[in-house]
Amino acid sequence: MKKTLKLMSALCLGTGILLGSAIGAAADDASINIAYQYGLAYAPLIVAQDQGLIEAAYEEATGDTLTVTWTQMSSGADINTAIASGDLQAGFMGVGPAVTGVVKGVGYKIFTNLSGQSHGLMTNDENIKSLGDLIGSSNQIALVNIGSIQHILLAKALSENGFDAHALDANIVAMKHPDGMTALQTGAVSCHLTSSPYIFTEREQDDLTELTEVSEAWTSEDSFIVGVASEKLHDENPDLYAALCAGISAAIDFVNASPEDTAALTCEYDGNSAEDELEYLGLGTYSAATSGVLELAQFMGENGFIDAAPASIDELVFDGVEGD
Amino acid sequence: MKKKKSETLYPLIVKIVFVAALLVLWEYVAKSGLLGEHSALIFPSLETIGAAFIRNFKVGFAGSSLWIYIGNSMKLLLEGLLLGIGLAFVFSGLSIISRTFSIIYNFVVSICDLLPGVALLPVVIIIFGVKPGVIVFLVVHAVIWPMSRNILDGFLAVPQIYVEAGRNIGLKGFRLLTGVYLPAATSYIVSGLKVGWARAWRGLISAEMIFGIASCPGIGLYINQMRTNMNNAEMYATLIVIVIIGVVVQYGILSPIENNTVKKWGMTR
Repeated sequence: MKKTLKLMSALCLGTGILLGSAIGAAADDASINIAYQYGLAYAPLIVAQDQGLIEAAYEEATGDTLTVTWTQMSSGADINTAIASGDLQAGFMGVGPAVTGVVKGVGYKIFTNLSGQSHGLMTNDENIKSLGDLIGSSNQIALVNIGSIQHILLAKALSENGFDAHALDANIVAMKHPDGMTALQTGAVSCHLTSSPYIFTEREQDDLTELTEVSEAWTSEDSFIVGVASEKLHDENPDLYAALCAGISAAIDFVNASPEDTAALTCEYDGNSAEDELEYLGLGTYSAATSGVLELAQFMGENGFIDAAPASIDELVFDGVEGD
Repeated sequence: MKKKKSETLYPLIVKIVFVAALLVLWEYVAKSGLLGEHSALIFPSLETIGAAFIRNFKVGFAGSSLWIYIGNSMKLLLEGLLLGIGLAFVFSGLSIISRTFSIIYNFVVSICDLLPGVALLPVVIIIFGVKPGVIVFLVVHAVIWPMSRNILDGFLAVPQIYVEAGRNIGLKGFRLLTGVYLPAATSYIVSGLKVGWARAWRGLISAEMIFGIASCPGIGLYINQMRTNMNNAEMYATLIVIVIIGVVVQYGILSPIENNTVKKWGMTR
């Protein structure tokens, strides 16, 4: 028994030391950890990283050097957890998880829009002509995740066409974009709701047709990827927050002003040829002003994607963010 | 008799003290705010997780209680487990009967045991399409190779003298397999069952997390939904459900099998 107690206390002590050192290492001035995800929608961040735009903005304003650590993560949910734990000060994710994070009290708000992209619902069955043909059927719709922005857009398209927002929930199969594209092409599912660049590949295929309700419900002008920053960063470190905003804004300006240079830089990351990348960049909207965020958040509140709908845009974004 | 009682009591006390210490540590970290001001959201206290545990079953998600998700998962798991174990026995048995088959099967097991099921997902979708059968396939994949490896190793470890004795009394082929190899390799088979079950259970949850069919939603999909919606307490509570199911199977099914076979026969301690 004595031995066991010794062992137990050793274990507790060990865990405590580990926890303590992990927490102790987190605090450091003039550094920022930013997370983003994979793909074309994040193009300005590759520019900001490559040209050191946030570092430059910080140095210009304060004269001090700044270390920016970029981390690529695989989902908005992971980024939410990392920001709540204090490991990340900023992150980029779909507007869906960002609204969920703000409403759940992760402790951040939206500080910029990043991009809007094309979304669409494709089918390989020529008998399916509209969303109405899917309701009550056993046709399966592949999309990236239940509760994802693609799922919310499906619900929004249904609702705008007079159907119940959740009428097709039981038809959903959650699959990553490339798996969903494979499943659609091989006939394993009959529909795939996806975003750029996968939607471009699918639109080019003759045997696939588009159900346009989804692309009409949310266009490439509307906010898709937004940047969030922790309230702590915003309140306690205004210089760094300002440098973050300025750096991202400069990166967005660069993407719009020099699409060729951007494509040359980002094509390797996205696995496209430089010509395709340039074409795809032109089909997206890169802007720091949000579009439709409040509308989408209210739709999410009304249809049970989040517990309560925010009453105004100020609940979702920091002061000084343009757009609605 | 007295000694026996302390022998069963001691491991129980050790486990209880260990779990209690872990819970105290968890509650301390949760309550102390060690993890910053949003600690309650990402590292919920035991009460919050307890309440979420009950809410999972009472309210659930999207109108379905967690019971429904568990039911679907268990059904797919059982199908995959039975199929996987059955196939492992059939193929391993065949490799005792045929030398050529044994060479091929040993080779296949060595290769396939290394492949993570979820990495095969794109291929599986092309072959099987998108239906719950895909999950069953991945469970079969998770269980058949480690189970076969154990059975094959068990057969290899059967002392040659037993096999010769069997041959001397006229056993060969299938009857040599059931009369000598299977009983002599039981301890390997039981440990194969334990490994196979754990692999299948983990394989099921990870397959469901990646590949969620809304018309047949399982526990993995439930965890994913809770994560997506930042319902961390519900997510932790679901992890506890996974552990409880694992423990029930371990102590309710696998341990009795072990106690009534290899332990009773004195093959292991």
